[in-house]
Amino acid sequence: MKMSHAWRPVIVILGAVIFLLILRTIYVPADFTAKNGDYKYQWHRTGNEKYWQDYPAKHMGQEFCGTCHADKVEKISASGHQKVECESCHALPEKAAKKHPVDLKEDFKYLLEIGVDSTRELCKRCHAKLPYRPAEYAGAKGTVKFKMIDPKTHNAGIECVTCHDVHSAGFK
Amino acid sequence: MEEHTLAHGAYWTVKEFFTYPNEYIYWTIHIVIYPYLTGLVAGAFVLSSMYHVFGKDELRPVAKFSLVFSLALLIMAPSPLLFHLTQPQRSINIMMTPHFYSAISAFTFVYLSYMAIVVFEIWFVFRPYIVKQAQERDGIVGLMYKVMTLGSYDVSEAALHLDHKIIKILATAGIPAAGLLHGYVGFIFGSVKTVPLWKTPLMPFIFLMSAVISGVAVCIVTYIAGMAFKKHFICFVPIKSMSKVLAYFLVIAFLLEGIDIVFHAYTAEEFWHIMSELLFKRFAFKMIVVQWILGMILPFILLVLPNLTMLRSFIAASLVLMGVFTMRWDVVIGGQSMSRSFAGFLEFNLPVFSKNIEIFKEGLIPALFLLAAPFFLLYIFNKVLPVFKDIFTEQECAEAEDKMSKRLF
Amino acid sequence: MVTRRDFIKAGLLTVAGMTIPISALEIFKPEALASLVESFSKKKRWAFVVDTTKCVGCGMCAKACKLENEIPFEAEVQRTWVERYIQTKDGEVIIDSPRGARYGFTSNDPYGKELKDEEVAKEFFVPKLCNQCEKPSCVQVCPAGATYKMEDGVVLVDRSWCIGCGYCVTNCPYFARFFNPVTNTADKCTFCYHRITKGKQTACIDACAFGVRKIGYLHDPNSEVFKIVSTQRVAVLKPEYGNEPHVFYIGLDHIVK
Repeated sequence: MKMSHAWRPVIVILGAVIFLLILRTIYVPADFTAKNGDYKYQWHRTGNEKYWQDYPAKHMGQEFCGTCHADKVEKISASGHQKVECESCHALPEKAAKKHPVDLKEDFKYLLEIGVDSTRELCKRCHAKLPYRPAEYAGAKGTVKFKMIDPKTHNAGIECVTCHDVHSAGFK
Repeated sequence: MEEHTLAHGAYWTVKEFFTYPNEYIYWTIHIVIYPYLTGLVAGAFVLSSMYHVFGKDELRPVAKFSLVFSLALLIMAPSPLLFHLTQPQRSINIMMTPHFYSAISAFTFVYLSYMAIVVFEIWFVFRPYIVKQAQERDGIVGLMYKVMTLGSYDVSEAALHLDHKIIKILATAGIPAAGLLHGYVGFIFGSVKTVPLWKTPLMPFIFLMSAVISGVAVCIVTYIAGMAFKKHFICFVPIKSMSKVLAYFLVIAFLLEGIDIVFHAYTAEEFWHIMSELLFKRFAFKMIVVQWILGMILPFILLVLPNLTMLRSFIAASLVLMGVFTMRWDVVIGGQSMSRSFAGFLEFNLPVFSKNIEIFKEGLIPALFLLAAPFFLLYIFNKVLPVFKDIFTEQECAEAEDKMSKRLF
Repeated sequence: MVTRRDFIKAGLLTVAGMTIPISALEIFKPEALASLVESFSKKKRWAFVVDTTKCVGCGMCAKACKLENEIPFEAEVQRTWVERYIQTKDGEVIIDSPRGARYGFTSNDPYGKELKDEEVAKEFFVPKLCNQCEKPSCVQVCPAGATYKMEDGVVLVDRSWCIGCGYCVTNCPYFARFFNPVTNTADKCTFCYHRITKGKQTACIDACAFGVRKIGYLHDPNSEVFKIVSTQRVAVLKPEYGNEPHVFYIGLDHIVK
């Protein structure tokens, strides 16, 4: 019996569906699964989890810097700045940062740009007087009074490090 | 190394008062055009089904036209999304690894199923013509028609009778499918729970009704323009019939949009103070004047005043098209203009020209291209499957008018 | 004319026709449905505590985060940021977060308008980051499966699969998501997944000298986060969205957005 012409569109559609399903098996990576059968929240390429686990860490903190600068770390941990990480002042967003004498990237796999940010603006982030800044905070040795100044009246125009030693959190 | 300091969205967003640092207008002009085009598809298709399914015989001259036009629009409908994606080359992922808790991922299935219905309805409608061309023509054009026959040259009485039945079934099935296609676009917006202007269960229906009015309006405008361009005799009866449909649906669309706003005003949830400022101040001109007064009330008056003329239909339909486009704009851009913090506003400035391709592609020029493309496609389709040929003679026109005047709807 | 019967028949056929390709992709697997009923909240899960009473608004967290996660420093997008809330004595609420606070708050002049101390009724800082929701609406809406929740609760983005539609960005009530200007894909806080899985603290916690931020397993009785969440009064942001956020705040106020 001759097939009715009306079936031809059906064949075209079936062909398209089969084509798409075949394309899908080729295109979709094998590790694309719904973990725990959870299509709603866990339908993904499981291989990507490794990308985020292996993402390079950059902030190493006092522990890393202390391997060379033990004196500085020792000094700062005895001071009010004990909880301030080195990168807060020494990691610079600008690419034109002051170069560290040793190539940290090459030799230590340390990835941040290192220099010194000794501007007033940096110190003001914590020490500018704002009426609602907590007056004291919990240090390792009990509560510490939080030193705040009014940047307009407190030696305006002079860099803080002229008089203050950041690592000992006191005067020079 | 190139500096990537411009965040996506920062170029065209102006922030006022408190907005979250990452908050920008991420869905821009292309997400305005996308529901606009799908709306036109749905409306045009419904119009052609009115002839095939609901026996509105006076619509015969526009039935083929609106069907083919809806395909032209349908092909262009998802293209704004390609311009919108930041990784357009990966757009296939949406088809390859969808998961059905995401409203957008259903797009492929809704879109392709609907596409199949439209394409094959057109195939059945034009089959006698295609077969004739395939037999008469040769060369590349003949080959194209031969491929389009799908190898069947059966145009016997029985076959044509079967075609006719199938067309009716497809045209019927196409109505819920068209509704699904556009209602679903409404659902995509309605289900975004973070945007108060979108988050309403009425959204699919609001979108659907505005889809029908814009689709019918675009058919009126294009049909009159196309026929005038071809210098054919234009029978006013089908246009009058379309104008009637347009007027009915204008009422429904207006009521739905109105009740949404009234409801927000009455319940006055925490975001109402910011929404009311948006509606009555920042978007007042676009929303109240252009969208409602010029886009709905004025065309409605033009259409229901006695002694409707072709020019009045044309003007009313053009106004509706403008009004619906503004409505899409107000919904998409307006919804994002109120900060999700309910404490600030964002303003969208459409980029016109930029050397940065990321900005340029979301600008005015691609938008105009996308809006013009369906008409260009229609022009090409018309070369292959002529849609302006099936016209009423003056005598048929008078008969149709007589028949129509005896009907209530 | 088509009869009503034809209409219903055709309608049913359409629906059935649309279901076939769906079932071909196996979403109706029983375990897929079961996952809706049984959440993974009983498992070990990362959670975060932010003590807003201790925050001084220095913004070192925002700076550290940007450097750690290679988000271009000057791009106006932040994985974590700090907001300042000011209520004046005449009842006005002013909120700001200049440059996402990556340069900190150094003076009391929101939007360039100087405020005198005596005008202020109350003022405080609120650090924000991704809430790593139990039911993340951003993950639910991703059409391509390019973002996902780990079993330990952290929500991650697959940068090689994301198509950049922005649906997740729009669906996050907290606006913790944005487009990364370098990869051009959706991006968000990962709780420094590469650090916490190796026993380190997140970069923002390391950078905070005031002990505002803490991370730990929520169901580990020894973790500080567990102790705080289970013994103190904590609140979450925007619970009404039903996302079940897992960043808990101490000292939240009703004016916080």
